[in-house]
Amino acid sequence: MPEPTSNGMQCNEFDALLADAIDGVLSGAQLDRFQAHARTCAACGPLLADAEAGRSWMKELSQIEPPVGLVESILASTTGIASDRLLSPVRPSQAQVSWLERSRAWLASTIDPFWATVRQPRFAMSFGMAFFTLSVALSVAGVKPTDLRQVSLRPSAIRRTYYSTHARVVRYYDNIRFVYELQARVRELKRDVSPVQPGSDKAPAKEKERKNDTTQEPEQKQERNYSQTENAVVLASAPLGPSVNDLPVVSVTTYRRLV
Amino acid sequence: MEDVQVVAMLVRRCISGDAAAWEEIVRTYNRRIYNICYRFAGSGDDAQDLTQEVFIKMYRTLSTYDSSKGAFSTWVTTITRNLLVDHFRKTKQDRLTDSIDSTASEHEDALPLSEQIQDQSAPPDAHVRSREVSQTVHSALGKLSPELREAVILRDLQDMDYREIAAVLKVPEGTVKSRINRGRAELARLLQRTYRQVM
Ligand SMILES: [Zn+2]
Repeated sequence: MPEPTSNGMQCNEFDALLADAIDGVLSGAQLDRFQAHARTCAACGPLLADAEAGRSWMKELSQIEPPVGLVESILASTTGIASDRLLSPVRPSQAQVSWLERSRAWLASTIDPFWATVRQPRFAMSFGMAFFTLSVALSVAGVKPTDLRQVSLRPSAIRRTYYSTHARVVRYYDNIRFVYELQARVRELKRDVSPVQPGSDKAPAKEKERKNDTTQEPEQKQERNYSQTENAVVLASAPLGPSVNDLPVVSVTTYRRLV
Repeated sequence: MEDVQVVAMLVRRCISGDAAAWEEIVRTYNRRIYNICYRFAGSGDDAQDLTQEVFIKMYRTLSTYDSSKGAFSTWVTTITRNLLVDHFRKTKQDRLTDSIDSTASEHEDALPLSEQIQDQSAPPDAHVRSREVSQTVHSALGKLSPELREAVILRDLQDMDYREIAAVLKVPEGTVKSRINRGRAELARLLQRTYRQVM
């Protein structure tokens, strides 16, 4: 320790060393200077204490086990071949047995304000148009309810969908583009619901196509952050990612028609 | 952590259409991905959906993985993280609507931390107590800004090193460290406030 008394450390240097200090990898003169700064600086001392405490709190969190059937359901939605052999009875049966009942009960409690809007004649026209188109598109696309095995029908998922649908509907109800959006979504849906073609990854031609498609750009090239504004929802051309979450749009809204 | 050659071989087998190899990848990584999603998104339902999405994305883009550019686990974590960013932005609209919606959510997450703790009077044993602490920390973690939350999760729960985290988040290592520091400190302050109120 050449100069144990010198303490020329600035707060920003302290901050840069803080993570290493908590990891216990500082040593020698550097550690001494770090500790001296922590003792004397009114801002950095408490920061060190808090950061250490925070790390201890994080250690209270243990790894949790994924739900039963997750692996099987992943395999079913990717390779598809596992669906009959492996698919766990847990999730699908839960979803299929009484989803109609549960949805009915749940919808009854949340749909009222929405329904009031829907009853307005002008809105109802557009809405009806949209779902007529959707039904046609669905049958043309050959989507059957049983194809929607992966659809999440849990109240939380439906709730989420309800709000996102609601928001879009209100924004675009008098615009024909809405219909195109739904059609685009149905196409997305069909692509997402049907298992990925085995071996599609190795076909070079398809690979090139995907490369031109920005939604499939390699992850590495996309800068993403949480604050990026996303209010400008592009409609028919919207590259909605592989979105299992979006699936309930169809089942929920179709159901509303039956109510 | 991972055997580079074993993983590279697995990936090659997958790309050539070997379903068993893919199944092995799914079995190896689903727990890790599920945990990241669960801790970040907060709910088990969302974590399940997101994990599924991550694997669909992985399956489609497996051939773009380049082992010379980094570990497979880093690649997997990057996909996971990017989907979490998308999920966060997508659900922001929902959360805005939710906060306007006066009907209170049925989720216990909606309660302030202090109320959650007050509910948990006299824990019967250490196991239950540790589960309650864990639940409280989990709730507090959800209150961190997403940038701090993800950094802390990758470091303290996934034990990734700073270089790997920097690669996943695409920010310099110094920024990673700073976010981890601030995230931990913020978490501690949230929990200190909570426990001080109760005790
Ligand atoms: Zn200082």
